[in-house]
Amino acid sequence: MSDLLEKLMNCVELGKINKVSSFPPSLKGQDGADELCKMALEEGIKPQVILNEALIPGMSKIGEKFSQGRAFVPEMLISAKAMTAAMKHLKPFFTSGEIKRKGTFVIGTVFGDLHDIGKNIVAMTIEGSGWEVIDLGVDVKPEKFVETIEKYPDCVVGLSALLTTTMANMEVIVKEIKNKYPDKLILVGGAPLSQEFCNKIGASFYSPDPQGAVEFLKKVAA
Amino acid sequence: MHLTDRLEIMNVEKFSFKYRELDIKKESLIKLMGYSKESLPQMIDEEIDEVMEKGEEVCNIEGGYRITNNISWDKNNFNILLENVVLNIRRVIFQQIKKSDNVAIFVCTAGKGITDRSREFMKEGDLLKGYVYDLFGSIVVESAMDIIQDSLQKGMAILGLKISNRYSPGYCGWDVAEQRKLFSLLPEQFCGIELTDSCLMQPTKSVSGIIGIGENVKYNNYTCNICDSSNCLYKNLKYR
Repeated sequence: MSDLLEKLMNCVELGKINKVSSFPPSLKGQDGADELCKMALEEGIKPQVILNEALIPGMSKIGEKFSQGRAFVPEMLISAKAMTAAMKHLKPFFTSGEIKRKGTFVIGTVFGDLHDIGKNIVAMTIEGSGWEVIDLGVDVKPEKFVETIEKYPDCVVGLSALLTTTMANMEVIVKEIKNKYPDKLILVGGAPLSQEFCNKIGASFYSPDPQGAVEFLKKVAA
Repeated sequence: MHLTDRLEIMNVEKFSFKYRELDIKKESLIKLMGYSKESLPQMIDEEIDEVMEKGEEVCNIEGGYRITNNISWDKNNFNILLENVVLNIRRVIFQQIKKSDNVAIFVCTAGKGITDRSREFMKEGDLLKGYVYDLFGSIVVESAMDIIQDSLQKGMAILGLKISNRYSPGYCGWDVAEQRKLFSLLPEQFCGIELTDSCLMQPTKSVSGIIGIGENVKYNNYTCNICDSSNCLYKNLKYR
C-alpha cells in the first residue's frame, strides 16, 4: 500500500477530518482525510483503490475497536465524518459508475418506533464498508420497505427497533417482505433483540453491534 | 424547582425546573458515553461543553407524581392493583415494593426541544453533536427525576414514611406496553407527555414509573444486580 493511502486510512480510523481539525491531537496541523483523498486522486490512484484500500479499511479498524470496547460511539462518529470528507471527492466516480459499491442496503426503524441513533450508527458503519445505504428513516411501514425493495431488488434489508413493543412490528415487516421476496436477506438489530427473537420472526441475521452487520454483509458480497 | 400545581384531592404534585437548577455534572455525560475524564478526547469534551451551554435554551423540564393508597397485591402473578388498574410489574419489582402502603406514579420530561435539536444535527450530518444532544437529554430527565424523587422522599419522611427506588416500564422485565395503564392513573396529558400507539413517550426524553411508599419500604443504593437487562444504557453507571 502506498504511503499516501496508509495515511488516509489512518485519518479515517483516527477521525482526522481535515487540516484545520484539531482532532486527534497527534495529527494536529497535518493533512486530513479531505486533503489526502484529493491528493491521492491527483496522483492518479484509482478511486476504487482509494475506497477499497484506505477508506473501507479505516472504517473497519474503528468498527473493530468499537466492538472490542476499545472505542466508543463518539469516535465512530468522528471517523464517519472523516470518511464523508474523503468521500465527497469520490462522489463523481460513484455517479459515473467507475466505483462499484458492494451492494445496496436498505435500512429503517420499524413503524411505531421513532428512535434513530442506533439506526444511524449502523447505516453510517455499513456505508463506510462500501455499501450504498438507502435510509428510510423512522416509523417505517411494511409497504415502504416492500416498495423500496421493488426499486432495489438485490438489496439487503436492515430493521431497527428500540422498544419491546415495537420489536414485535419487525415480525410484521419480515412477514410482508418474505411474502413477496422469500429469499430476501433481512438483518435485525436494537437493544431489546436477541438471536432467539431473530430466529422466531424468520429474519436472516441478528447482530448486537454494527460491526457484526458489516461482517455479515462482507460474506454476502463475497 | 417550582411547584406548579398541587391537586390535593388527587394527591398530585407537579413541578417545573430551570435547567440551571439541575446542577448537571459534565462527568455524568462523559461516563454515559463510556469514557473517564482522563480518557475523553478533547474534541468530544468541547462538543459536550457546547451542548451543555445550550441547556437553558433547549430544555423545558416538567415532572410530577400522583400518590394513591388504593392498592392490592397479587403475589402469585406479581400484579399490583392500583385502583381499578392491574399492573403486571413482574417478580423483581414486585419484591422491591410489596411492602408499600402507598404508591407514587411519576412522570418527568426534559421537553421536546432536546430531541428536536438532536434530530436536526443528525439530519445535517453532524452525527456526533446529534448523539451528544441525545445523551444530554437522557441525563437531564434523569437528573430532574432525581430531584422530584428527593422531594417526595423528604415529604414522606416528615410523615414517618420511606420510599423505594423508582421503577419504570421497560426495565426489570416490566413490559413497556404497561405504560398505557400507568398513564391512565394520571391526569390527561400530565406534564405534556403523551403516548404513541406503541407506548413511546412523547417528548422522547421522558421517564415514567412507580415508587413504593410505606413504613417498611427500603431504598437500595445499588439496584443493577436485581435487573437482568444486559444492554441497559445505565447499567452500573452510578457505580463505574
